[in-house]
Amino acid sequence: MTDMRRLRITGGTLYDPANGVDGEVRDICIEDGRVVPDVPHGSPALDTRGMIVMPGGVDIHSHFASSSCNHARRLLPEEHFADPVAAPTLQDRTVSRSGTGGTVPSTFTTGYRYAGLGYTTVFDAAVAPVMARHSHAELEDTPCVDGGFFALMGNDEYLLRQIAAGERERARDYAAWLLGATGAYAIKIVNPGGIEAWKSGQRNLSGLDEALATRGVTPRAILETLTDAANQLKLPHPVHIHCNNLGVPGNVAVTLASMQALAGRRAHFTHVQFHSYGGPGWSSAAAPVIEYVNEHPEISIDVGQVMFGPATTITADGPVEYLLHKSSGRKWVNIDIEMETGCGIVPFQYKDKAAVSALQWVIGLELFLLSADPWRVVLSTDHPNGGSFLSYPALIQLLMDRGVRDERIKQINPKLLAGSALADGLTREYTLNEIAIITRAAPARLLGLRHKGHLGPGADGDVTVYSTNTDLAEMFAAPRYVVKGGVLVVEEGHLRRAPTGRRLHVRPGYDEALLPDLRRHFETYSTVAFENYPVGEIADEPLSLSP
Amino acid sequence: MTDTRMDHVTCLGCGCGCDDIAVTVRDGRIVEVTPPCPVSRPWFGDGVVPWEVMRNGNPADLGEALSEAAGLLALQPGRVLVYLGADLSSGAQRHAVGIADLLRATIDTATSGTAATGLLAGQRRGRATATLGEIRNRADVVLFWATDPARRYPRFQSRYAPDPSGTQIANGRADRFVISVHVGSEKAPSGADASLTLEPSDEIAALSLMRAAVAGNSPGELTTPLEQAVALVPRLSGARYAVLIHDAEPSAEPRNPLRVEGLITLAQALNGPTRAALLSLRAGGNRVGAESLLTWQSGFPYAVDYSRGYPRYVPEQRGLDLLEKRFSAVLIVGSAAFDDRTASALANLPTVIIGPRASQSVFSPAVAIDTGVAGIHEGGTGYRMDEVPLSLRPPLTATRSTVDVLEALHGAIRLRAGSA
Repeated sequence: MTDMRRLRITGGTLYDPANGVDGEVRDICIEDGRVVPDVPHGSPALDTRGMIVMPGGVDIHSHFASSSCNHARRLLPEEHFADPVAAPTLQDRTVSRSGTGGTVPSTFTTGYRYAGLGYTTVFDAAVAPVMARHSHAELEDTPCVDGGFFALMGNDEYLLRQIAAGERERARDYAAWLLGATGAYAIKIVNPGGIEAWKSGQRNLSGLDEALATRGVTPRAILETLTDAANQLKLPHPVHIHCNNLGVPGNVAVTLASMQALAGRRAHFTHVQFHSYGGPGWSSAAAPVIEYVNEHPEISIDVGQVMFGPATTITADGPVEYLLHKSSGRKWVNIDIEMETGCGIVPFQYKDKAAVSALQWVIGLELFLLSADPWRVVLSTDHPNGGSFLSYPALIQLLMDRGVRDERIKQINPKLLAGSALADGLTREYTLNEIAIITRAAPARLLGLRHKGHLGPGADGDVTVYSTNTDLAEMFAAPRYVVKGGVLVVEEGHLRRAPTGRRLHVRPGYDEALLPDLRRHFETYSTVAFENYPVGEIADEPLSLSP
Repeated sequence: MTDTRMDHVTCLGCGCGCDDIAVTVRDGRIVEVTPPCPVSRPWFGDGVVPWEVMRNGNPADLGEALSEAAGLLALQPGRVLVYLGADLSSGAQRHAVGIADLLRATIDTATSGTAATGLLAGQRRGRATATLGEIRNRADVVLFWATDPARRYPRFQSRYAPDPSGTQIANGRADRFVISVHVGSEKAPSGADASLTLEPSDEIAALSLMRAAVAGNSPGELTTPLEQAVALVPRLSGARYAVLIHDAEPSAEPRNPLRVEGLITLAQALNGPTRAALLSLRAGGNRVGAESLLTWQSGFPYAVDYSRGYPRYVPEQRGLDLLEKRFSAVLIVGSAAFDDRTASALANLPTVIIGPRASQSVFSPAVAIDTGVAGIHEGGTGYRMDEVPLSLRPPLTATRSTVDVLEALHGAIRLRAGSA
C-alpha cells in the first residue's frame, strides 16, 4: 500500500535562500504536510534529478477574492467568452470545477492557475471589511492555495474619528477588533484619506498634510496611526500601504514623504512602480525611491510591475479610476462602500507603443534592477492591475535575461525614457537564488509566515519543481511538479489534485472598553447591525501572534 | 407557553436587507415581527412549512427520493435545467451551481425574467453606485426615477433615504432635496421638493438631454417637459452627493429597456461636476447573491450554460421559456412561482424540486423534497440589493437544510454517473 503521508523529492537542485541553500543537490522529505529531515526508505518519491527545486510561490499582493474582483468579473463577459476552462480530471477522482479565465478568472480557475504556476500561497490585498463575508466565500471556492486578505482601513469613518479626537490607542483597539471581526490577516491603507475625500466631494488629497474637510485628519496622521497599530499589535505583516496619488505624474514626492514620515517604523509599501513618477511631465523617479528603500531596512516594497497586454485595474482608490476612465474612455465601475472605503474598476491595455505604458514598464524594471536587497523588494504585478499573475514568468525572464530585456526595450515607445537608468543600460541579471527570494522566501518573511517560503524542517510541504529550460519564461510558466502540503497537485502541466487551502488570518487582542462606543457608532450610522457584522467562526485557527 | 424572541434577524422579504428585526416565536410558530412592515410580516408569516419527501406524488424515504432524483438528472447530460429560486442562502446556491457544473446543465435564475436588462447595460457601460449606507450618510439630493419605494420596499425611505440622518446629513429629510420624476403610470413619491412628469415617449430623450447638460452642452429649443428635465440638472450637478434611484424589477406595464442605460450614463456623467450614484432597487430573497455567486464561480451573473463542459453566457435565453425545446429534465432549487404555461411544461418533464413547499407544487414533480426558507429556517449568507453580504439568523429550525440535501444529491449523482 502506498504511503500517501510521506514524500521524498529526490535529486533536484535546491534553491532555499531562507536556509542559505543556493543551488545544491538535496532531497526534500515531507511527512503529514510538513518538511521533515528524512522519511523511511520506500516512501513515495519524485525523481527530480536535473531539475530546479524551490519552495512554493507566495504572492504578497493580488486581487483575486473580493467583492471588487467580482464586480470586475461581472464587467468582463467578453474576456470570459474568450477563455473557457473545462473542469480538469483529477487523479483522486474528487470533484473539480469548470470556469473562465481572462484577467480576472473565476475562483476555481484562479486556484488551479496559481497552482499551475507553482504558487501555493496568495493574499488578496484589498477587502472592504463590510464585504469580508464575501471574500471568505470566494476563498472557500479558490482551491490549491492557502490564502487570506488585508482589511482596508485608511479611510474608515470610525478610525478617522478616533484620529481626529487624538485617540490613537482607541484607533489601535479598533483595528485589532476589525481584523478579528472580519477574519483578515493585515491592515491595508489605500490612498490614506483620499477615498473619503473622493466620497465627500473634496475629490482627493494631494499631499501628506492636506487635511480632510470632513474630519480634519491628514494622510500623515492616518499613516502613523495604523503603522504604529500594526507594530504594537505585533501583527505578522506590518501595515501594507498604497500611497496617495497613485498613477499621477510627480507622485514621487508624496511617496518619499510617506516613507520619511514613517522612518524607523516597520512598513510595507505596495506596487511602488505606480508611485514612482517624476513630474510635472511623465518621467522615471525609480532611482530616488529605490535609493531610499535600499538605505532604510525598516521598509519593504513590492514592485507592481506593468506587463504589456490586457489588464484590469481594480482598486479601492476611487478617484484614480475616475481619472483613468476619463483618459482611456473605457467602461468604468465606481462603488462607494459605506463608512469604510471605495472601489473603482476600469479594464485597461498596456501597449508597448504607448509612451506612458512604456515608461511604467521601465520604472518597474528599474526598481527591481537597482534594488540592493531582494529580501525587501519583491515581485508583484498588483494582479490584475499591472497584468495577470500569469505574466510572472515573462517578468522573471526580463529580470534574469538581459538579452531578452534589451531586445524588448528596442521595441517600446522611447518618448518618455530620457534619463532613465534602464534606457541607459542596466546590466544586472537576477540569479535563480534571487528569483527564489523575490517570489517566495522574501514575501513569506515579510508576511511573517514562518512555515512558508522555505523548505527547512517544520516548513509547510509546498514545493515547486521546474525542468531546466533556456527559455526562462517557459520554464517558470510550466513547473514539472507542484506539491502542496505534501500532496502532488500539478504534474507536467496537469492538475492532479485540488486540495482546499488553509485560511490565514489573525485575531489580535484589544481593550474591550472600545465596544460600547463602537456599538453606539454602529447604531447611529451603520446599516448592518453591530451583532451581525463579524463573520463568525473560520474553519482554520488564527495565527498565533508573537508575545 | 413561553415566547422566545430573537433580535437582529435579517429579513429577505425585499432587497432592503433590514437586519434589525425582532421575531417572537411561540410553539414553533412566528407570532410577532417588529418593527411593523407590510412586506416583512407576510414574508415571515407564521414560519410553518411542510417537511415532506415525495416521490411521484407519494411519501417517500429521503434516501430513495435522492436516488431517484440522481437517476433522473444524471442520465441527461447537457439536457438538464437547474432553476434557482430566490429564497436560498448563498451556501445552498453554491451547491446547486456545483450540481449544474457536474451535470453540464443550464442555470436559470429569477434574474433572467426580471433584472436582466440592467445587468446587461452594466456590463456594457459599468456603473457608478454606492452601498445603501453611503446613500443614507451622504446623499443630499435624492432623485426617484419612476419609482415609489413605499410599496415594494416599505422601509427604504426611513432606513436609507431620504428620512434618516447620517454622517454628512445632520438633520435627516430637512437636509436633503428630493426630486420625483414620474414616467407615465410609474409614479415617484409625492411630497418631493421638485417633481417632473414625463410621457414614456419622452423618457429616453430626457435622460440624453440631461446627460448633455451635465457635460455643459446647451440643448437648444425644447418642448416643455424636456426643458423641465434639463432644468433639474443644476440641482443634481450642484449636489454634494446625488443619488438616482430606480426600480430594476419589472413593473406591471412594460417600460423602455433603454432606461437603465440612460440612468447609468447620467449617474456616471454627474461624477464630473460632483459625486453621484445610481441605486437599482432589487427584490427580496437572495437573488442578488445568486448573481454574485454565479459570477465568482463561472464568470457570468445569470443564464449560464455548462453543456459544453464549461460556462457559456446565454443572456438572451430564459431557461424556463425553452423547457420543451431544450431540456429533458429539470432541477428546481428553492421556491419559484410559475405561470400556467411553465407549470404545464414542467409537468411533462421529469422534475425534481428541492425547496420550501416543494411538496405543495401545483403540478406533480417526480421528486419533491421540502426544505426551509433562507433567513427563516436556514442560516448562512444573503445579499442585500446593494450586494452587501448579510448574516442570516433563522428564528426557526429546519427539519432538513437545503445545503445538506443538495450535498447528498451531488454525491448520489456522482455515484450514478460513475456507475453509468
